[in-house]
Amino acid sequence: MRGNEVIAEAAIQAGCRFYAGYPITPQNEIPEYMSWRMPEVGGIFIQAESELAAINMVYGASAAGMRAMTSSSSPGISLKQETISYLAGAELPAVIVNMQRGGPGLGNISGSQSDYFQAVKGGGHGDYKMIVFAPYSLQELWNLTKLAFDKADEYRTPVMILGDGVIGQMMEPFIPTPCIKSGLPEKDWILDGCKDREPRVVKSLYMGDGELGMRNNILQEKYKTMKRKEVRYESYYAEDAEVLVVAFGVVARIVLSSVIKLRHEGFKVGLFRPVTLFPFPEKEIFMLSGDNRRFITVEMNAGQMVEDVRLSINGRSEVFFYGRPGGSIITPEEVRDKILLLLNHQPYLVKTDFNKWDI
Amino acid sequence: MAKILKLRELSKKDVLISAGHRMCAGCGAPTVVKMVLMASDYPVIAANSTGCLEVSTCISDYTAWKIPWIHSAFENAAATISGVETMYRALKKQGKIDREIKFIAFGGDGGTYDIGLQSLSGAMERGHDMLYICYDNGAYMNTGIQRSSATPFGADTTTRPAGSAVPGKTEQRKNLTRIMAAHDIPYVAQASPSHWMDLMKKVRKALEIKGPKFMNILSPCNRGWRSRTDDSIMLSRLAVETCHWPLYEVENGVTKITFRPKQKRPVEDFLRPQGRFKHLFKPENEWIIKKSQEDIDREWEKLQKEEALFAS
Repeated sequence: MRGNEVIAEAAIQAGCRFYAGYPITPQNEIPEYMSWRMPEVGGIFIQAESELAAINMVYGASAAGMRAMTSSSSPGISLKQETISYLAGAELPAVIVNMQRGGPGLGNISGSQSDYFQAVKGGGHGDYKMIVFAPYSLQELWNLTKLAFDKADEYRTPVMILGDGVIGQMMEPFIPTPCIKSGLPEKDWILDGCKDREPRVVKSLYMGDGELGMRNNILQEKYKTMKRKEVRYESYYAEDAEVLVVAFGVVARIVLSSVIKLRHEGFKVGLFRPVTLFPFPEKEIFMLSGDNRRFITVEMNAGQMVEDVRLSINGRSEVFFYGRPGGSIITPEEVRDKILLLLNHQPYLVKTDFNKWDI
Repeated sequence: MAKILKLRELSKKDVLISAGHRMCAGCGAPTVVKMVLMASDYPVIAANSTGCLEVSTCISDYTAWKIPWIHSAFENAAATISGVETMYRALKKQGKIDREIKFIAFGGDGGTYDIGLQSLSGAMERGHDMLYICYDNGAYMNTGIQRSSATPFGADTTTRPAGSAVPGKTEQRKNLTRIMAAHDIPYVAQASPSHWMDLMKKVRKALEIKGPKFMNILSPCNRGWRSRTDDSIMLSRLAVETCHWPLYEVENGVTKITFRPKQKRPVEDFLRPQGRFKHLFKPENEWIIKKSQEDIDREWEKLQKEEALFAS
């Protein structure tokens, strides 16, 4: 199974019975898989006439109480932003998969991480956040897809799985662990006909005096709870590392192989891997920072997550950046070179010379 | 009025889309583009929506287009060319340009029938002086043969796979040419590369008319149709001769059939050479062929009636 098919099957196992999609490379295996798999389990597959249509179908299905999902790749996700904001505003659960490709514009079709900002900072309008998972293996893809549906329902929020073209096309062994029932209470807000009960309202329009402000406060409280309870990360050899690399998704795999090699050679290096990009493991990264430790963020973009790392560290350590934008893969050798540079206390920096922090 | 086409003269004209592009062997799209550009006596500026034609003709630093060419996203070739055409009109008004330039947008069926319909409709309604050409190969071929609303009834695609439960696409093909005709624009036509003279005449006619024009051109795709690469033109001819793809035009609301097959062939002749319809020849799917034939007959009947209405 390829990564894309793993997502599709995991969604089915998690009880997703509504999928709307639209063709775009490199995620076509998801709609293709869903097109024959959904009818088998009595679910619904729709190929919409555009990305906008697909996400709005998800909005409708979710309001009616279905576990619903859509998927796309970067340019298509850009088109979905409006409704993602609506989903957050109307507090509707949904799972959105972004198998990122190189941008901006039409870009190319190889794997990239350049939609980090769009995913975690709110690509659409308004003060909203969504939980963003960054899987780095097929096992994690399997587990997190299932978790995404539970978290979406638990918080009544859109959840994004931020993969990339590499992980979507990749094959490797994984254990398709059975799905455990989430034990969430029944949805008491869905719109399924109000015969013999009070009508319910699902909306994101609040025109009354102060109404929208209150609404926003409720949302912000929810995001605070997420920050408290939903942070996920993994760290490797972090305790005594002199250089600590921060990377997510497929880049973390590449970095990990260089880190393990360097450890065998006796160098004190480590890796910190955020699994949730929102909520970001701010506290955990802060706790690891200090004078005797240098950080470097490695990303397949021109430097996005590095900003969150710097904010978390708040000046307690130097944070460097190495990246490759435009959908090109970083090699373990490149990462090794950069780590060795930092271990040798190069480059020597004037703290205000911000241009030189990218190495 | 443009001069009458002569093959001898055409053969001397520059081919404005060069060889070396990465379209598949047997693809109909570059043939269509070649004919369209060859038909024009004027300089042409083209817009292209995302799709096979776009990605395969502008690989990294190269372009196969020998004319000014612009690509924006998937859903908005019509809007993009609207902007270019408007700028041209503004420059003309200011006296900064005096040449007569024609504007053509190319889009596949995904980018025209589906995601681009809104922008196309808008451009037609605003009345830009442009020609929109849809090269219709009946699915999202660029991303791997997913169904589109142009996919014929019963065809096998990757998101509507034919199997024991579902016999391929069970929805009707959207009749885009009629939708465009309903915009009451000056010129709408349907063409096929097999009938090249008809196709080029239509393009020339369209380019002489001021205002928005639309042409729907059948474009065989051997990958998606699951046919031999050297069968493309034959298949587009069969589409015409079976009346699956009737050749007609609607000029100022007047319908005219431009090619009438001597003998209308059964739809099976068009379906049989294509792998995407293979499953239809199983006994349990006979009804699909029957229905396809009925739909074709009805549409053909309708077109003839419309034509007769204006002839009288």
